[in-house]
Amino acid sequence: MKERHLCVLAGLVLTGLMTLSGCGAGMGDEPSVEYAPQEDRELVIYTSHKEEVYRPIIEEFEERTGIWVDVVSGGSNELLKRISEETETPGADVMFGGGADSLQAYEECFSPYYCRDWNMLQAEFRSGDGLWTPFSSLPVVLIYNTKLVEEGQITSWNDLFAPAWQGRIAFCDPGVSGSSFTGLVTLLGVMENGDDTTMQSLAVSLDGRQWQSSGQVLDAVADGTDFIGVTLEETAMKRIAAGEDIAIVYPEDGTCSVPDGAALVRNAAHQENAMQFLDFIAGRDVQQLLETQFYRRTVRTDVEPAGILPAPEEITLMDYDIDKAGREHDAILMSWAFYLGGVDTP
Amino acid sequence: MKKFFVKSFRTRLFAGFLVASLLPLFLCSAMLLQTFRLRLNRQAQLETEEHLTRVTELLDTLYTDFHQVSTAMKSDRSIAPVLEQGRGGDTAVYSALFGVTEGSRDYARFDLYGKDGVWLYSTQNGPVEGELPVNWGVLYAARQTAGLAFASASTDADTANLTFASAGAGTGTSGALLQGAAQISTDEGEAAGYLVVTMDRAHLSRLLEESYGSQNGLILLNQYWRPIYASEPSLTDTVVPKLRRLLLDGEDINDGDSDSSYSTAYLPEMGLYVLLSRPQTLNQDTRTLLGTVTLGSALVCVILSVFMGLRLSRQLFSPIKRLHSAIGQVVHNNLNVQVTPYHDDELGQLAGQFNDMVEALKANQAQLIENQRELNEAQIRMLQAQLNPHFLCNTLDTMKWISKINQVPQVAVMSTDLADILRFCISPEEFVPLRREVEILRRYVEIQTIRMSGSFRFAVELPPDLAECKVPKMVLQPLVENAILHGLEDVKDGIVTVRAWTTENRLLQICVSDNGKGLPQEMTGTYTCREQSSARYHLGLYNVDTILKKNYGDRYGLYLNHRPDGTGTAVTATLPLSQEEKNA
Repeated sequence: MKERHLCVLAGLVLTGLMTLSGCGAGMGDEPSVEYAPQEDRELVIYTSHKEEVYRPIIEEFEERTGIWVDVVSGGSNELLKRISEETETPGADVMFGGGADSLQAYEECFSPYYCRDWNMLQAEFRSGDGLWTPFSSLPVVLIYNTKLVEEGQITSWNDLFAPAWQGRIAFCDPGVSGSSFTGLVTLLGVMENGDDTTMQSLAVSLDGRQWQSSGQVLDAVADGTDFIGVTLEETAMKRIAAGEDIAIVYPEDGTCSVPDGAALVRNAAHQENAMQFLDFIAGRDVQQLLETQFYRRTVRTDVEPAGILPAPEEITLMDYDIDKAGREHDAILMSWAFYLGGVDTP
Repeated sequence: MKKFFVKSFRTRLFAGFLVASLLPLFLCSAMLLQTFRLRLNRQAQLETEEHLTRVTELLDTLYTDFHQVSTAMKSDRSIAPVLEQGRGGDTAVYSALFGVTEGSRDYARFDLYGKDGVWLYSTQNGPVEGELPVNWGVLYAARQTAGLAFASASTDADTANLTFASAGAGTGTSGALLQGAAQISTDEGEAAGYLVVTMDRAHLSRLLEESYGSQNGLILLNQYWRPIYASEPSLTDTVVPKLRRLLLDGEDINDGDSDSSYSTAYLPEMGLYVLLSRPQTLNQDTRTLLGTVTLGSALVCVILSVFMGLRLSRQLFSPIKRLHSAIGQVVHNNLNVQVTPYHDDELGQLAGQFNDMVEALKANQAQLIENQRELNEAQIRMLQAQLNPHFLCNTLDTMKWISKINQVPQVAVMSTDLADILRFCISPEEFVPLRREVEILRRYVEIQTIRMSGSFRFAVELPPDLAECKVPKMVLQPLVENAILHGLEDVKDGIVTVRAWTTENRLLQICVSDNGKGLPQEMTGTYTCREQSSARYHLGLYNVDTILKKNYGDRYGLYLNHRPDGTGTAVTATLPLSQEEKNA
């Protein structure tokens, strides 16, 4: 009997406490869930682009298609790794950003898709098996500080090995930065005295020193810490537009223009919408804005250059072997680590 | 648990106090809080709805104005050709533009763009240059619809997005938050140019200020819940992504654990959501405060309960403890203990009763001791009395033989009788059959007959069935002695009769009567003398009466009366009829 009384009392007290703490929700107005999109009007995009790049594109995409885009942004390697871990239940529908070679390296995570304007794309930027859709083309360039280096002192990749610049070259760890890796592969393609010799020479020129993010390369050159740097045209153009003391050199001995792209995630939940998005970014309207807005080069054949970037004809362009870069990715990085570590830092 | 509660009365008291104080406290707090919140919520909700209505009305009015402007511009035949030719600075166009935008210019800027997106006219004071991409954003939208299309331009004036909205050229739409565009068509239906309505932060602030309540926050969102305008810039960075996340996850935006609650209205024409955020009526701080107050009160209750429990139990326990120790002393035979009652309550009365009880016990014990003492004295006396009779008996026997030898028969008879009486007297049994008692009476009478020269007769009427009745030893002898010595004094032919009978209620009555001079009138009736000292002259009566009363109780005793035939005395002894030996 006594225990029962105690139980009743405890129950009462508990009820009181629960009313006290109160479930405040549900007091509001009409539920807002009705504003939420239908499941088939959603799209999840993982992007490694900066917000200033992906945001206008995605907002315009939303306005035109009525599809709600959910953006997850991060580093390209990080996001690709995440996608590869999510193969069972993919979180993403589209991976937007990342060099074509990076996307190629994760080919088991993606489904091939030939976008609507496939035939209007420049042939060298088409993925052989349709695994990725190109977004823009980004040539590798050399930059120098205009206060410290006179115009014409740097003209080619070969100049990097001049003793005058030893220890004054800004280069990012290719294991960290995809663009730096592209730069290294480009250099290896240009120099004809063997990959190992080239890497060894570059390591000596760097004095065994490299930066840990591609942004630091620009910073180091702009503030005079380093004289010369290796980076992508788009990044350099943005800094120049911002008024920094940087100039671009398109190496005479040639450079590569590697596309970055987007890819349809295998077994994506919103596959139709993802395809619409790929169509959209390769579409004319977006491609027309690339140069004026983002200092990126179009991958289409039918878009006239806006004249902000040097015409392709003025640049010595070489083919970039995406398949090879993907295939030998780990081997190159291993050699590079070996040679860089072998340099005695002064 | 149960054991614990049962074990200590103090704990039970404490628990009782705790329940009696905490339960109402918590219930009251909960009810208070609920009522408080319900009232506040209802009020806040009404206010919010009012604000929301006001904001939507303002925006609706604005849209109507814009719509009128766009309709007017589109219907103005003179404008399309000018725009188609890309001519700027035409005063007629300006005049038309300023004419129709009268009254709306405070809240927006109106521009006219050529068909290729080049800026031509503006209501803004000062130089404006720029170009809008016709395949993007608001102009693209305007091309797709016949009416007025809206697009959010940007939320942040510094990002590239912004220049993107203004098509890269100059500062034309810098700072624009919301743009609307309408295509102005040639007679053939081709695009001649565009009317662009641009609202920046200042415009929207001017329009909406004071319409949404000072403590509320206002957010304008596009159809996809991307921020366009917020009264507090921080809201766009923190709140909007969170709400959009909730919405995408299919949850209610008020479900998030937030200090604000949100109300929403949708404006379909502009594709805008108006989101009003109002601080939660009972925010975390208030709830924490209330919780603290309740907990504080609970703490006070607990302390009070402990205090009261201790105090009451002490009030209960200290008298009980005193009683307890007093009882312990009584158990150890200390009867001088007394409990001082502190209060006149139940426990005080209990203490009083205990004291009375101890007093009574004490008196009882004293009485017992006294009785024991008396008994001891009597026994000593009896032993002393028994010391010599054997010697006396033997002497009497010797006397009997000497007198027989010397031929003095009276002495022989008397000494024989005396020896028998003496033997009877010192025999250990207290109760004897009536037959033996009567036998001794005869011996006694024999002696008296010799002494008094046979001047009286002695008669016994003893029914045989009563011969074995037990009676206390020597109860009849004093009565007979009384009758002979006092009743028959100076009486000739005196007769003493002993008669025994039983009554209906099984009482044995033995009457000793004489035909003597009788007794004084005041002595008739039940013998009542209680004091030995006052019975000096009839010690025999007193002794017999006392023996009967002590042995059988106060109901029994002697009854004194005149003889029924007039002369003499009759003394009746009443005692219970018993064949067995009576154990006193």
